[in-house]
Amino acid sequence: MQEKKVYVVVPVYNEAPVIQKTITEIKNAGYDNIIVVDDGSTDNSYYRFAKMNVVPLKLAINRGKGAAVKTGMEAAKVLGADIVVTLDGDGQHNPKDIKKMLELINRGYDVVLGSRLKNPKGMPWHKIVVNYIGNIVTFFLYGLWVTDSQSGFRAFSKRAINLIDTQTDRYEYDSEVIREIERHGLKYAEVPIEVRYTKYSMNKNNKQNLKNGIKTLIKLLISG
Amino acid sequence: MKDAFIIFQVIIALISSYFLLNGLWKFVKREQKQTFLKVFYTAVIWAGILFLSIFPDSLRVFSVKFGLGENLNTIIFIGFVLVFMAIFKLLTSIERLEQTISELVRKNALDDLSDFVEEKDKKH
Repeated sequence: MQEKKVYVVVPVYNEAPVIQKTITEIKNAGYDNIIVVDDGSTDNSYYRFAKMNVVPLKLAINRGKGAAVKTGMEAAKVLGADIVVTLDGDGQHNPKDIKKMLELINRGYDVVLGSRLKNPKGMPWHKIVVNYIGNIVTFFLYGLWVTDSQSGFRAFSKRAINLIDTQTDRYEYDSEVIREIERHGLKYAEVPIEVRYTKYSMNKNNKQNLKNGIKTLIKLLISG
Repeated sequence: MKDAFIIFQVIIALISSYFLLNGLWKFVKREQKQTFLKVFYTAVIWAGILFLSIFPDSLRVFSVKFGLGENLNTIIFIGFVLVFMAIFKLLTSIERLEQTISELVRKNALDDLSDFVEEKDKKH
């Protein structure tokens, strides 16, 4: 049987200090098809990853994580991907967790959601609270309860890649995917993932903090 | 005069019912462009107009309760409707604009992908 073509999509916004390490880790975990999407970074992130034997894409201006991931997904479709895994560019996700996600996709699941709240060890309390709020809002808007609606570490089958159609550009994208799972009746599972909160990732000001959380909430309401 | 007023009420009630049900139906059908905020605005505006067309005296009750003159009350009501409609239109336009920008930027990035694939194929 021909092996399935797995593509890893990594959205990047001003991650120059860590992007090379993140990509190296993904390669060391055994995944060579990597699409890295620079979301209009103002640092030299693009030049750092473009020379690393990946598929480099660049959005001319910053459009948000959702727009970057969607671009990566579209590219994966063009490149004939059977499975797409998305993970954040700041190195907080452990690529070793991809293996258990792929096992579930190969067992017939359409979407596998990496869940930080199934393994909250080391997760700051305020992030746990913000995540719960995100889960509750997502549930009330889309009718599907998941333990981590804001996780960017996910795996998608070919069927899911073709069916999921998102419109939002920023962090609300993560919840919109949950809507699509519910809308198309996709078979999904959640797996606990390891998240590495480093000084670097905690200090970044473009991450999902309380202020951005409120913005996301408003955008979610607008996008329905 | 009374009959003319009833016909006017029926017409307004029919129009507002149509827009109200249409908005709700689109939301229930989960049409991509019918968002929660849009359906909320639709419901507030058209349900309000429908209510007032059926119970026009309620405006007077409201006016008396809040101590406003009848004419002023009507002006405020119309003002609210216009502001709601303006916000609604503005949000829709901004949303459409944002999506168009993202689509353009994405298309541009994916064009680069074709070049990248071609170059890679040539090397092999």
